[in-house]
Amino acid sequence: MKTGLFKWVDDRTGLEGIIKSQLTEYPVPKNLNYMWNFGSLALLVLVLQILTGIFLVMYYKPDASLTYGGYTVAFDSVERIMRDINFGWLIRYMHAVGASAFFVVVYMHIGRGLYYGSYKGPRELLWIIGVVILLIMQGAAFFGYLLPWGQMSFWGATVITNLFGAVPVLGEYLQQVLRGGFAVGDPTLNRFFSLHYLFPLLLAAIVGGHIHALHVVHSNNPDGVDIDHEKDTIPFHPYYTVKDAFGVGVFLLGYCYFVFFQPEAWGYFIEVDNFVPANNLQTPAHIAPVWYLTPWYTILRTFENKLLGVAMMGASLAILFVLPFLDRSKVRSARYRPVFRQMVILFFISVVVLGYCGHSAPTATLAIVGTIATCVYFGFFLLLPFVHKFEKTKPLPGGE
Amino acid sequence: MRGMMMKTLRFSLIAGLMLVMAPAMASASGGGVALKHAEISLDQETIKAGLTVFTDVCMGCHSAKYVTYRNLMDYPEIGLTREEVDDLRGSNSLMEGLKTELAPEDAAESYGVVPPDLSVIARARRGGGDYLYSLLTGYEEDPDGKVEDGNYNHFFPGNRIAMPDPLAWLGHDDDETAELEKQARDVSSFLVFIGDPHQLERKRLGRWVMGFLVLLTFVLWMLKKEVWKDVKKH
Repeated sequence: MKTGLFKWVDDRTGLEGIIKSQLTEYPVPKNLNYMWNFGSLALLVLVLQILTGIFLVMYYKPDASLTYGGYTVAFDSVERIMRDINFGWLIRYMHAVGASAFFVVVYMHIGRGLYYGSYKGPRELLWIIGVVILLIMQGAAFFGYLLPWGQMSFWGATVITNLFGAVPVLGEYLQQVLRGGFAVGDPTLNRFFSLHYLFPLLLAAIVGGHIHALHVVHSNNPDGVDIDHEKDTIPFHPYYTVKDAFGVGVFLLGYCYFVFFQPEAWGYFIEVDNFVPANNLQTPAHIAPVWYLTPWYTILRTFENKLLGVAMMGASLAILFVLPFLDRSKVRSARYRPVFRQMVILFFISVVVLGYCGHSAPTATLAIVGTIATCVYFGFFLLLPFVHKFEKTKPLPGGE
Repeated sequence: MRGMMMKTLRFSLIAGLMLVMAPAMASASGGGVALKHAEISLDQETIKAGLTVFTDVCMGCHSAKYVTYRNLMDYPEIGLTREEVDDLRGSNSLMEGLKTELAPEDAAESYGVVPPDLSVIARARRGGGDYLYSLLTGYEEDPDGKVEDGNYNHFFPGNRIAMPDPLAWLGHDDDETAELEKQARDVSSFLVFIGDPHQLERKRLGRWVMGFLVLLTFVLWMLKKEVWKDVKKH
């Protein structure tokens, strides 16, 4: 293996040692199921988003000046990418579908971590870094959705920046800093564009930290038990490289189906109203964020008091940071925790129901459903510190 | 036993939620009247016929600025000859979009609104081509007699539409209605096409991509099985 150039680099970087410790001799539990594929998929989608984004920026123009027909320079530049740039439509749809794909795989990844107790010691910090990644992703997605400068871009940004106005004392100031003025306009578009480029760079760096932290504490496994490194692990390469590659194939089948045959996903990935150019004089009948933000939007809408709504929405995400410390049970995996298992499944259902409510136009029935789902969501975290007191866990496998 | 009970409980909870949500779902998707089915077709004959309706009728007031005269030659789905394009464009540049000669101020004065650009209209309305077709064939007399003839549309939200029936000149006996429906269908198809002019190319390419991925994924699955065959489960 050690020939000229490789040896030269190895002598100066320790490359061979890195490859061994991180890849060919990096131990991974051999009993991981396919739920453990979503981490590598998230990394793949991050790379795809950054690459397609770089090409889009070559043609996109963040400029809200009006052009012929009630459009803007920004909207025109997106349509130019869709129509006149060679394979611009492909790059743009990969990016738009990629945003949703990113959240699909990351939500599956988080769900897996919850179900199998991957957030528990010694992986608390790994989990916390993951929550930071989630928040930055949501920010990046929100900033990105403004860029085409359609009706939903404009009014979505208006609604969300409005929320900051509810913060006591600093509210109005925060709102104006975010918008770069009193209302969403050209300065908002410019700063959101800047942040939409910054956030993925942050993501790349923090994802590096996430992977590093993983390689220190190693992967959890479906049984949630500590692993005998000699007996129960296999090297990452070739076993998990080939398994992840197969996962990539399956993922790409779904991803490419949407890119090539259903890029708007019936209004779930690109909303119908976003093909109407932004108009500050005409509010759309129904303003809703894209599906991946709707669960938190419902929590916001559940509370009549705006400040309380904002606070609860913030709390619903912030509480993820302390999850590792709320759960006191010694057993990790839901496989051996009958009560926790029911709770976490109810929690998953509540997130889906919250998402559905946030996507739909508000009705009295949905308000009740949303309130119940919000209670289930928070109930999960409130009950968690007490479960270990009465839960009879099942016997764990293997000699621990 | 306990597990069974929890399962039943969970199941009834989901079923209950779905029951509650079903009517909400139905009303959210429809938003009112059921649209006619337009049988949108993206073959060259239909799109070209739709282009003619667009330039003869729609372009009196509307533009489609993202579609240039050059595009009418370059998109194989339309495929006009240079001579046909020259006839259409007059003194306009080849790179010019299809723009109406009606000034926005004049339109606002006559109709109360500036007619929207139609480049992406099929994507900007729920129901897409079906909605456009329904709208164009949906002019009626107001049952309450409040809205003047030609401005009452069965499918327009609120029914009062600023655009007077653009195909009214075709008349209303049986033959004429058939012609009106054909033109409405042609122009709706044209608008669906220009909303995303690479859609046919995209789907053609997509079939190859999916075919390749099925093969690739199958090979990767075989490879995974081969590499893992000696790994014991526990």
